[in-house]
Amino acid sequence: MSRTEDGDEETTPDGASQTDAPPVEFEEGPDNRRGPDELTAVSSREEKADARKIVTGEAKYTADYAREFPDLAAAKVLRSTVANGVVTAIDTSAAEEMDGVYAVVTPDSPEVPNDPYTSAGQSYPEPSPYDLRVLRKRVRYVGDPIAAVAAEDVATASAAVQAIDVTYDERDAVFDAETAIEPDAPRIHDPERVENHQPGADYERNIEAHAEGEIGDVDGAFEAAADRSDLTVVETEWATPHQSHCVGEPHTTIARRDQDDRYHFITSTQVPYHARRQLARLFDVPIRDIRVTKPRIGGGFGGKQSIVLEPIALALTMATDRPVKLEATRKEEFHAMRVRRPASITVRSVVTDEGDLEAIDMSVLTNSGAYGSHGLTASGAIGKKQLALYTHTPNIRLEMTAAHTNLPVAGAMRGYGAPQGHFALEGHMDAVARELGMDPLEFRSRNVIGEGDLDVASSILKEGDGEIKGGARRVRSCGLPECIERGKAAIGWGDVEQPDAPHLHRGIGAALTIQSSGVPNDELGAAHIKMNEDGSFILQTGAVDIGTGADTAMAQIAAEILGARPEDILVQPSDTDVSPFDYGAYASSTTYVTGTAVKKAAQDAREQLFDFAARMLGEPRDTLTARDGAVYAERSGESVSLEAIGYESIYGDEERAQVMGEASHSTPESPPPFGAQFADVTVDERTGEFEVHDLVYAIDCGTVINPDLAEGQVTGAMHMSYELAVGSGFSFDDDGQPEVVGFGDYGIPKADTQPPLTPIFVETHEPSGPFGAKAVAEIPTNGVPPALSNAIRDAVGVRIDDLPITAEKIRAALDAE
Amino acid sequence: MSRHDISLTVNGTEHELTVEPRTLLVDALREDLGYTGANVGCDTGRCGACTVRVDGDAIKSCTTFAVQTDGASVETVEGLADDGDLDSLQAQFQENHGLQCGYCTPGMLMTADTFLQDAEDPSRDEIREAIEGNLCRCTGYHNIVDAIEDTAGLAGQSQ
Repeated sequence: MSRTEDGDEETTPDGASQTDAPPVEFEEGPDNRRGPDELTAVSSREEKADARKIVTGEAKYTADYAREFPDLAAAKVLRSTVANGVVTAIDTSAAEEMDGVYAVVTPDSPEVPNDPYTSAGQSYPEPSPYDLRVLRKRVRYVGDPIAAVAAEDVATASAAVQAIDVTYDERDAVFDAETAIEPDAPRIHDPERVENHQPGADYERNIEAHAEGEIGDVDGAFEAAADRSDLTVVETEWATPHQSHCVGEPHTTIARRDQDDRYHFITSTQVPYHARRQLARLFDVPIRDIRVTKPRIGGGFGGKQSIVLEPIALALTMATDRPVKLEATRKEEFHAMRVRRPASITVRSVVTDEGDLEAIDMSVLTNSGAYGSHGLTASGAIGKKQLALYTHTPNIRLEMTAAHTNLPVAGAMRGYGAPQGHFALEGHMDAVARELGMDPLEFRSRNVIGEGDLDVASSILKEGDGEIKGGARRVRSCGLPECIERGKAAIGWGDVEQPDAPHLHRGIGAALTIQSSGVPNDELGAAHIKMNEDGSFILQTGAVDIGTGADTAMAQIAAEILGARPEDILVQPSDTDVSPFDYGAYASSTTYVTGTAVKKAAQDAREQLFDFAARMLGEPRDTLTARDGAVYAERSGESVSLEAIGYESIYGDEERAQVMGEASHSTPESPPPFGAQFADVTVDERTGEFEVHDLVYAIDCGTVINPDLAEGQVTGAMHMSYELAVGSGFSFDDDGQPEVVGFGDYGIPKADTQPPLTPIFVETHEPSGPFGAKAVAEIPTNGVPPALSNAIRDAVGVRIDDLPITAEKIRAALDAE
Repeated sequence: MSRHDISLTVNGTEHELTVEPRTLLVDALREDLGYTGANVGCDTGRCGACTVRVDGDAIKSCTTFAVQTDGASVETVEGLADDGDLDSLQAQFQENHGLQCGYCTPGMLMTADTFLQDAEDPSRDEIREAIEGNLCRCTGYHNIVDAIEDTAGLAGQSQ
C-alpha cells in the first residue's frame, strides 16, 4: 500500500520532492536468485563449524590463552566507591610493597594516557564524545576506574587493590535523566575537558547529545485535531530500565608486547579494527604497531562493542613489560562495563475515525550514565527505527535527548534503542486501536509500511555527521502481512479460551517489529578466499563471530558459489594482521554486508577456477557451472573436480596461478527485516501474577542462510526481550551504590522460568542481500515488552507502561481502576 | 601463605599439586592442570559455567576450594568423550544445536549428564528444573532441553 500507487508524491523528510529516491527495482547481482531446489549450501542446516570443539570443551576463549604466556601477570582494577567526586589522594605504597605485585598504575603514571577517548567501538569519526580517561581522579559513578594492579596471580592483585588508600572529595550526584537536565542539577562534565562534542551537546545541562526532525507539520495536525470531531488525539508515556547484556564470558583481555615490539591483544571484542584504531590514537602508537586477535567469544550482544579493559591492560603491560590478563568480574559486568540505556518516551498521535494515522509526535529522553557512549546514535534509534513502520503518516516529529547522570555507562546493546522504542510505539498503537474500537492488528495493517514503499521516517533525524545519516530507504522485500497472519494462527488470535476460574483472565497481545541490516553508508566488509590444492578453501574475513555462528554462515555463502561443501571452506577468525578489514559485529551487519563481500570474493575465485576448468575440459567457460565439488560443462556433461583444479592450478604443466578471490562490500542499502511478536498470557486479577503461555515470533529476514543458526538468533533474542519485559532493571541506593551486583539480584530468565519460544520464518527474497538474505540478529529483541504489555491489557484491562512488568504493578493498576 | 599438597583424579588421571588454601577448584583445574573446559562466568556459583563433577555430584567449581577436594575424583567436560567419540549427550547438543557461543556448554553438559544418571524418562519440566542453575544467554534454552530430552529418550530405547 504505497502512497505512490495512490498518486501521492513521495517526499523526503524535509518536504522536498524525492526525485532521487532509491528505485523500486534493484539491479541484482549475478547468481543471487536461486530457487530452493537449486540451493545446496545456503539454507541447509549446516552444523555450526565449532560445535564439536564446544561440546568437548576444547573451544578456546581469551582466558584460555593465558597458559601460553608463562610470565603473564593478572590484573585487577580499583574502582570508585563514590558516585560523584574528585580523588584528592591515592596512596599505593602498601600495595606496591606486597609480595608478588609487579606494578600499580594510577592516573599519574607515565604509561597511562591523559587524553580523553571514547569507549564506544564505532567507525571513524566516532559519533561519541571523547570524555573518558583510562584512569581518572575525577570520578563520576560508582565503578569508575582509579588505579590498577598487575601481580603474579588474581588473588594477589585483588589484595593489592584493596590495600590502595583513596581519599575523595565527594560531590552531589544526580541519578535520573529528568533531574539531570534541570538548570540547577550537579554538573557532571566540564565541556572544556571533552573533545569531539556531539550534536546538541549542552554540558551546562548534562546533555550529551540532542537531535530532532520533522516530516510535514505536526503542530498543524494537532491544531486541526482540536477543532475536528472525526480526529482523535491519543497520548501515552513509557519508561524502560537498565538492562545488562549478561554475556556468558565476562570481558577479558590479554595485552602483550610481541617479539617485534608491537602490542598484541587477544581480546573479547566485537570490533577488532575499531579497537586497533582507537587504542592507537589513545596511546599515540602507529596503527601498524597494534594487532588485535579475536579468539572465540562467549557472547557479545553489543557489550563488547566497547573498548573498556584493553587500555588498562596495555598500560599495565607497558609498566611491567609482561603479558597482562584482565578479566571483569560479574559485578563489574553489571556496573563497570556497559548497559542498555533507560529511556522515558512520550508518544502523541492524531488518528481519523477510520483508523488512519495523521500525525505521530515522539519525544525521547535517555539516561546515558556517566560517559558518552553511543548516546547520539542509540538514543536516536529510539524512535526513528520504529517510526519506519508508520512512515506513511504524513506528519511525524521525533525529538531525542541523551542526558548524563552519575550511574553506569550506557552503550550498545542488541536492538540498539529499538527495544525501548518498540515498547513505546507498539504499546501506543495498541492504545490507539482500542480507543477507536478497532482490532489492533487491523489498525496497524491500515497504516504499516509495505513492499515497494519508501521509508522516509528512519532518516528523520538530520542532526550531526555521525551514524545518524542516510536518506530515504526503499523497501524491496516485506513479509510482514504473512508474519501477521501466521503469527495470529499460531497464537490463536481472536480465539482465546478463558480459564474457568473467574479470577483468571487470558489475553493475547501483538507488536510489529522492524530493524535494519547494517548501518547504511557506514559499513565495510571485505573477504579473501584462496584455494588449496585439495579443493578446499581458506576464507578470511574480518567478520567477527562472537558466538553467533557467523563463520559457518560465511562458509555456506562461499560454498554455494564455489560448488564446494561448507566444511571444505575453512574460515579463519578475525585478526587485524591478516584478516581483510571489517567494521565489526554490530548493527546486524555481518550476514548482509560481510556476507555479500564473501559472495563476491567467491565469485572472483570461481572465475579463476573456471579458467583452469575450461582448459582442462576443453569447453567454453561460459557453459561451466560449479556444483557438488566439481565444475561441470553444460554441453558435454563432463566434469572436473575441485581437487583436480586445485592441483592443476598449482602444479599443472601450463601457466600456474593460485586461485585467490577477493572483494569488498559497502552499500547505501540497509533493508529492514520485519517481524510480528505475539504473547499469550493469563493474569490472576487478585494478585496481579501472570503466566506467559507462549511467545510467538514470525520473522521475515529474507532468505534464511542457516535455519538452525537463525532460529538460535530468534529464540535467544526473544529470551533477552522477555527479560527486558519482566526481569530487567537495576536498583541503586540514595548514594548511587548499585544493589544489583550479581546474577542472584537480577531477573535473567532461567531454564525453568523462560516461557516457551516459538519462532516462525516467513521467507522473502531481498534483492540487495546475499542470496536474498536480510539481518536476523537484533530484530527479535524488540517485541516482547509491547506484546506482553498489550496482552495484559487484553486480559485485565490495565496497561503497564513502565518496565519491568511485575505482579505488583498489575495489582496496583487494577486497584487504581 | 601456607601451601597444601593435594591429589586429584581428573577424568581418570591422577594429579599431585600444591595449592594455597584460597585456591579455587576451577583455578586449580584451569591454571594448574590445563583443564580449560570449565569456564568462569561469575564468582558466586550462580551461572553454572564452571560446573564439574566431584565424586559423582555436579558442583560449582568457582565456589569450591581445591583443598576441599583433596583425594577426590573429578570429572570435567574433557572427560565426556571416549577417545574422540562423543558421548550421547554431547552428540545430542551438537545435533539439536543446543549451543551457540558455547561458554555455558561445558557446565550445562556436566549438570545434565549428572541429572541423567538418575533420571528415567524425565519430563521437560523436570529437565528445566534440573538445569535452572546453569544460565545460557544465547539460546533461550529450548534446544538445550531438546538435547537432554533426546539423550534420555535414546538411553531409554537402549535399555
